[in-house]
Amino acid sequence: MHKFNVNFMGNRNIMFIVSAVLIVVAIGALAVRGLKFGVEFEGGTVVNVSKSGSVTQAQMSQAFKKAGLANVQVQQSTVRGVRGYIVRSSETSAAIANTAAAKASSEVGLPSDGFQVTTIGPEWGKNITSSSLVALAVSILAILLYVSIRFEYKMSVTAIVALVHDILITLGLYALVGWEVSPNVVAALLAILGYSLYDTIVVFHRMKENSAGLVKQSFMSMANESVNQVLMRSINTSLTSLIPVVVLLIFGGVTLKDYALALVIGLASGAYSSIGVAAPIFAIWKETEPKYKALAKKYANAS
Amino acid sequence: MDPKQRNYLLLALCVLLVIGSWVLFMPPDTKITQALDIRGGLSVILKAVPSAGQSANSITSADMDKAQLIINNRVNKLGASETSVQREGSDSLLVQIPGIKNATEALKIINTTGKLEFVDMSTLPSATVDAINTWEGSGAARSSAPSIPETVTYTPVLGGEVIKTANAGQSSGGTSAGQITVNLTMNSKGQQAWANYTRTHVNKQVAIVLDRVVQSAPVIQEPILTGDTQISGNFTVDEANYLATVLQTGSLPVKLEPVDTREVGATLGQDSLRQGVVAALIGMLIVAIYLIVFYRGMGVISVLGLGIFASLFLGLLAGLSQFGVFALSLPGVAGVVLTIGLAADSSILINERFREEIGFGKTVRSAAASGTRHAIITSADADIVTFVSALALFAIAVGPVKGFALTLMLGIACDLVMMLLFSRPLIMLLGETLIAKSPALWGIPPEAIAARATTGKKGGASHA
Repeated sequence: MHKFNVNFMGNRNIMFIVSAVLIVVAIGALAVRGLKFGVEFEGGTVVNVSKSGSVTQAQMSQAFKKAGLANVQVQQSTVRGVRGYIVRSSETSAAIANTAAAKASSEVGLPSDGFQVTTIGPEWGKNITSSSLVALAVSILAILLYVSIRFEYKMSVTAIVALVHDILITLGLYALVGWEVSPNVVAALLAILGYSLYDTIVVFHRMKENSAGLVKQSFMSMANESVNQVLMRSINTSLTSLIPVVVLLIFGGVTLKDYALALVIGLASGAYSSIGVAAPIFAIWKETEPKYKALAKKYANAS
Repeated sequence: MDPKQRNYLLLALCVLLVIGSWVLFMPPDTKITQALDIRGGLSVILKAVPSAGQSANSITSADMDKAQLIINNRVNKLGASETSVQREGSDSLLVQIPGIKNATEALKIINTTGKLEFVDMSTLPSATVDAINTWEGSGAARSSAPSIPETVTYTPVLGGEVIKTANAGQSSGGTSAGQITVNLTMNSKGQQAWANYTRTHVNKQVAIVLDRVVQSAPVIQEPILTGDTQISGNFTVDEANYLATVLQTGSLPVKLEPVDTREVGATLGQDSLRQGVVAALIGMLIVAIYLIVFYRGMGVISVLGLGIFASLFLGLLAGLSQFGVFALSLPGVAGVVLTIGLAADSSILINERFREEIGFGKTVRSAAASGTRHAIITSADADIVTFVSALALFAIAVGPVKGFALTLMLGIACDLVMMLLFSRPLIMLLGETLIAKSPALWGIPPEAIAARATTGKKGGASHA
């Protein structure tokens, strides 16, 4: 009923080419366009106006400039049909920013409790950036260690390769489209690391089980069977994980959208990389071991 | 204990936990504490920076304790309820003032530089002196303390930086024994200047001024040569403690700068929460429909599992809220939504493995036992990896993303409990009876059962 027999391993070169192209595009986008960081990383002020009624973008911009904010940029943000604005400024003094937001809101005739004013000092951004990078490094190391102890180091290295693949593609997409990277996005990415590994580990788990006393087929064809065996689960899990975050992306406000977008991209890329990247690289690597080399030779025509 | 008894026991335990959870979290909007980004208010992270001439690592834990006390005093002055000032990391304070109306004013008060001075009253204009004396005469209430107008310039006798310690105490000996006093000691530079000044100014008034606001205006009784000064007055214990804290602000070797300021309007926060809850509910509903359509009876078990997961999760959040260690923030809501997928995944792993093992020719009964065991091991491994990333994020990251990491970790814990106390025992119990009788109803392909009958690997007979 739900049996699959897709020749993933046989077509691994196609998947490698797809991944390689995506990664080259991602690196190119990162190098040429670069990432657009939120105020949290660079210092400044963001004012979220949730319900702006009939106020136009020009009026909004005018009001904030008049209230004394420097370098005002106004962007429209619509949540479920209700129009709002995101106002950015380079102002790093919270007192000035709050006074200005209050002034601007009365200027355009909006209530002052529909605002969110976030002001980040210039030094704090560095703090957030470095703590995010440390969190990333520690989390990768910890995962590497866990997988090495629980399974084997070849699995942990290939899992990390898949992971770097996911991060590069996600960040590349952010650079390409020009989406803003906020600490929320970084947090979502870190979480997605764990989650995309989750997928990879389920595949590895099955390979480990199936490779015990492997004699009747090559490692590669066993790997292909393993991937097929867990494919139904992979598809279902990816769908059931994606559904809530896609709904969040549609219904959520500004903060929640930040998380949801990064989660959607990360989940999709993670689901693909466990089958398209981690599994074949691991199988190729395993086939260099003498035991599996012999099996590969013996069943050369079977796979 | 035989497995059947054990499974009934586990299910009973699960039911108890779910009932307990409902008691804890109903109604959720009051039982689960909401963070500032949801209920609205002002949240400021103040980072301590060393004042000029101090090295960066000179900020000690004692300095931060003092800073916390000072900020707490300032925040309390605002009169808002449920304010909190917490340490965040080694050099920052997190100030939270829920439901504040005038954030601009609050920011001004929090951000005052904390400049403490001793001012010779005779150098102040007479209008100011009169105002101070009237205030002192009328009980010196903190809320109505007069300030020195910005237009007045003056040279302080001493700056607060000379003060080494300041404590509230009781005077001993003399006619004033037992009176509550504030005692302070000074460094050598202060001792010298204070001795020179007090020698020539006995019976004169000195105003203790913090950021131009008069805190006290004692009269010098006698020359103070050692710097050890006792301020007496009709202090209550609270007043004396407050004055001691004020006096310590001068010796604070750090400056506090607002580095992360968030002001959230109350309606905006509630709107965001509603959006998050709606998204979570719709997401769960679609996942539930999907699971039932795809796995039929096993899907119903999965959906019940999701319900139990959600109950335990909400109960845990409400329980932690009660101890004051949890507040749901928007990033936290994102974490909750992500864990819905996680919980659904464990059920999918179980269902797929269960089907597969029957396909291999196992009896429903043995597939129920070994399939759930294998699936839980796989799921636990995967859970641990997600948990590790969340833990790293929680321990290292700063600011609001901590809330995301926390709910993610709690969700993973609830997922494991759900699998062990609900999914596995229930499937094992049903596997012996209902599922074996009508496999199609439970989403088990009939050909899988047929395959077992023909190959008869593990023997259908043993299941009789």
